[in-house]
Amino acid sequence: MGITRRDFVKLVVGGVAGLHVTPLPWKLTDDIAIWTQTWPWVPVPPIGAFNHEKSVCTLCPGGCGIKVRKVDERAVKIEGRTDFPINPGGICPVGMGGLQLVYDKDLRFTSPMKRVGPRGSGDFLPISWDEAIGILASRIKGLRLDGSPERLVAIDGNRRGSTLSQLISRLMRAIGSPNYIRCASVEDTYWMLNVLMQGREGPIGFDLENSDFILSFGCGLLEGWGSPGRTLNTWGMWHEQDRKGKVKIVQIDSRASNTASKAHQWVAVRPGTEAAFALGLAHVIIKEGLYSNEFVENYAFGFDDWTSSDGQKHLGFKSLVQKKYSPSQVADLTGVDARTIETLARNFAKARAPLAIFGKGKALLNGSIYEFMAIHSLNALVGNINMPGGVLVHDPLPLKDLPEFEPDPIAETGLKKPRIDEADTKKYPFTEGLIYNFAKAVLGSSGSAVDTLLVFGANPSFTEPDGGLFSRALKKIPFIVSFSPFRDETALMADLILPDHTHLEKMEEILWPPTLQYPFYGVSRPVVGPVFKTKNVGDTILELAKALEEPVASAFPWNNYEEALKVRAKGLFESGRGLVSYEDQAPPWEQMKKGRSPKPEYTNFDEMWDAIKSSGMWYRPIHSFKNWGKIFKTPNYKFEFYSTQIQLAIDELSQTTDKPGQTVDIMAIRASRDEVFLPHQEPPVLPGKNSTYPLVMVLYEMINLSDSWIPSPPFLTKTWFDNELRKKDSFAEINPRTAKQYGLEDGEKIVIETPSGKAALRVTLFEGAMPGYVFVPRGFGHIAYDEFLKHKGVNPNHLVTTAKDALSGLPLWWTTPARIKKTV
Amino acid sequence: MEKKTNSKNTSVVGGILFFLAGFIGSLIVGWVIFPMVLYSKQPQPLNFSHAIHMDPERVDGIEGDTETEKCLFCHEFREDGTFAGIPRLSKCTECHDDPDSPLGETEEEKTFLKTYVASEKEIPWLSYYQQPDCVYFPHIAHVKMGELECKTCHGDHGHLAQLPPYESNRITGYSRNIWGKRISGYKKHTWDRMKMDDCAECHSKMGHEENNACFVCHK
Repeated sequence: MGITRRDFVKLVVGGVAGLHVTPLPWKLTDDIAIWTQTWPWVPVPPIGAFNHEKSVCTLCPGGCGIKVRKVDERAVKIEGRTDFPINPGGICPVGMGGLQLVYDKDLRFTSPMKRVGPRGSGDFLPISWDEAIGILASRIKGLRLDGSPERLVAIDGNRRGSTLSQLISRLMRAIGSPNYIRCASVEDTYWMLNVLMQGREGPIGFDLENSDFILSFGCGLLEGWGSPGRTLNTWGMWHEQDRKGKVKIVQIDSRASNTASKAHQWVAVRPGTEAAFALGLAHVIIKEGLYSNEFVENYAFGFDDWTSSDGQKHLGFKSLVQKKYSPSQVADLTGVDARTIETLARNFAKARAPLAIFGKGKALLNGSIYEFMAIHSLNALVGNINMPGGVLVHDPLPLKDLPEFEPDPIAETGLKKPRIDEADTKKYPFTEGLIYNFAKAVLGSSGSAVDTLLVFGANPSFTEPDGGLFSRALKKIPFIVSFSPFRDETALMADLILPDHTHLEKMEEILWPPTLQYPFYGVSRPVVGPVFKTKNVGDTILELAKALEEPVASAFPWNNYEEALKVRAKGLFESGRGLVSYEDQAPPWEQMKKGRSPKPEYTNFDEMWDAIKSSGMWYRPIHSFKNWGKIFKTPNYKFEFYSTQIQLAIDELSQTTDKPGQTVDIMAIRASRDEVFLPHQEPPVLPGKNSTYPLVMVLYEMINLSDSWIPSPPFLTKTWFDNELRKKDSFAEINPRTAKQYGLEDGEKIVIETPSGKAALRVTLFEGAMPGYVFVPRGFGHIAYDEFLKHKGVNPNHLVTTAKDALSGLPLWWTTPARIKKTV
Repeated sequence: MEKKTNSKNTSVVGGILFFLAGFIGSLIVGWVIFPMVLYSKQPQPLNFSHAIHMDPERVDGIEGDTETEKCLFCHEFREDGTFAGIPRLSKCTECHDDPDSPLGETEEEKTFLKTYVASEKEIPWLSYYQQPDCVYFPHIAHVKMGELECKTCHGDHGHLAQLPPYESNRITGYSRNIWGKRISGYKKHTWDRMKMDDCAECHSKMGHEENNACFVCHK
């Protein structure tokens, strides 16, 4: 009997029917559904005991308190701390995603390494710490033996005045190199402003919480400004029920950023004309007599015209703004109509506590000094300096300096050599580092002016402007050492890696976060043990100093980094009052107004230090407000509209230069005569819109995209919209009107070209973008790191063509002439 | 004609036979072969005898008025109220503190002391009762507040002299104990299965219908 087709069908039907009365189909369906829960790429926390550790985030200078949730020893979540004065509860997206910076092997170096492949290839061989420190020590010893220690250069991205910065510059001095180059940030411009107008060297503090009228000159309050956790919290407070309608936020910005869209008023000023706009407001305030007579008459210098001791007549601030910055003149320059300027000036001056704030974007990049001076003049005019809700004047943190030491004769000789970047010289007396000049000098030298470059806490290959000038300079440097924990662009060019811990693994100091209005010092602590074979860079420096032997070693008598931190922190204890916990206290900005000084909870230094290490904080919520007769330490002991400090600097330079008539040019100042010393609008350095470059590229920053030397955690990839990053293309925002001129539709590809280079992006049409300008976000376009960051979008830093900012010589970041072309 | 009828009858019978062959074949595949293929079997790294450890006569310190208290001696709650589950080595070494002096006479204990205690290595236990990560199950709410006995969910496990092999679902990776040993899903005792319906059934029975809301467990 053969099997017929019919029999076979019956067998199959029987089989199918039978299957349905077995668990197989039902169980399989269930299991397949459940299988989706256990995909290996879905992160699942380990099983173990939960615990929380408190620390402070050091991914930016903001100093937000963080609480790290751990399962056994594995950190699984980062949240904001509610028992922290700076950011009661909130943190920014980069801070939240910070876990991946600790555990992602593709982002980090897992041990000391030496390069084996070509530079930039990322091909490294793990070596031991002893070998790594030995290699560097013998190289430095060689330079000292040759009598050319100045050929060692350090680039340092750590905070101004931090212990780490001091240790690095101390190491350089002990070795004998004057070439310690600190990366500039907005703090440098704040510092300059404070020196030039107020004669003070402490941080600038904005009392945002107590202000009722915020006039923000491009500050990205919702984009991660200052301490993001604090600024966002304050924004929330301004909108709370009891303050509703009482606080007004006005955003001066050329693009409808999140801050601009949510402000009460958005004033679109042409980028680069902010100083003129501020002076236009000053014009109205002065003309209508809305300024503080008390302040201007008694505590300010250079408001009215004046005559110096040599009988020379000088222009005052009042005459300058009356002459050059009337609303109609300013309207032409800024594109804002005169009536808006007048109304805004009146509203500002009539507010109870008006506050004009500056530091564009996230307040990370250095600003323009005359622009800051112009804006700060508004605070002076309304008498809101050192007043609640105003700009507070402070001494620097009372940290002790590390003890002095004597450099040996080899070092003495090296230190007398000129600085390669010309910073901190009579030419640029207010600047601690000019990376642009350094790169130019390296590229311009015939041999190798630099033998060894050390890079600390910085990624200049990515963050520096001017078409990758810095990266080209790196190729000429024989030996590069990176101390970065991350596989960043600069580190990939290095020959030797001495990797630092990441933020959750290390003890680090947090200095007074930028823009915060009360003295703050913090210490982060290791919340997880080192995940890989890395070392706190502070300890690495001490070990390197020991390996360099005497006499360098004796300049570093500390056994570990913490000992050095403690030496400096003693100053906090000796200064008297300071709190080390934040639990039941009122917020510091409220305590300061009450004027009652709280009692510290410790009796000796060790107690204080232990408390700081466990709570992460030391802060002093007391302040002596007003006090106008005493706070200004300028040569006139007054607030200086007319900065005599600038005059002194110029005089000093002209005594040493053979071209005294051109001093102002050397300092990159473009104004002339008395204007040089007064807040003013500098004429643009780069050619404006012309036939070659009919547009202007303007940078902007996003809160969920890191644009500093810290990489964006891959988690953030999911938060970028489809018109910010699409596959490998990032976007430029342009106004639909501009798009029409170029025949561009939303999402189409373009090539953008500036004097520094060109790049391909897509356009997104945005009504909130000022016509004639192209807005490009900072932070995309890495060529290092992992699959989530590498080759994603365009790095606009390299497209930026910088001019030097007056006085500081630092780059002017925000505007670059550009043209665009549609591509098919 | 007749011949034709006969052949028709034969073909009907034959047809049924083929149908039955297919039907029964599937039953064998579905009920017998499928579960064998679906689950992988793995022995535990060490045979731990609950029977010995639950006997206060033989082990000092395992005491308690109720059986639950005895279980909790090792399967403890942490200070924050979370449940530690399978104890870590540190719990074992509270008694088995010297790798050179066994407390009993079994070979298994010697292996344990040599392999784990001496080298301070955690025992890679395989957990029979681990719920998926998307499920929030607080033991404390059930054991302390709900006063459930351990065996309500875990059956006789606490009295076994031999740890059964760990079976894991090859597709989902979860332990077989969650679906239940019986492939049919048929349930006779409360501890036979640990699926969501079982949680809900008990909640309803105990008058806690409100705990059947999604976010109570799937937070």
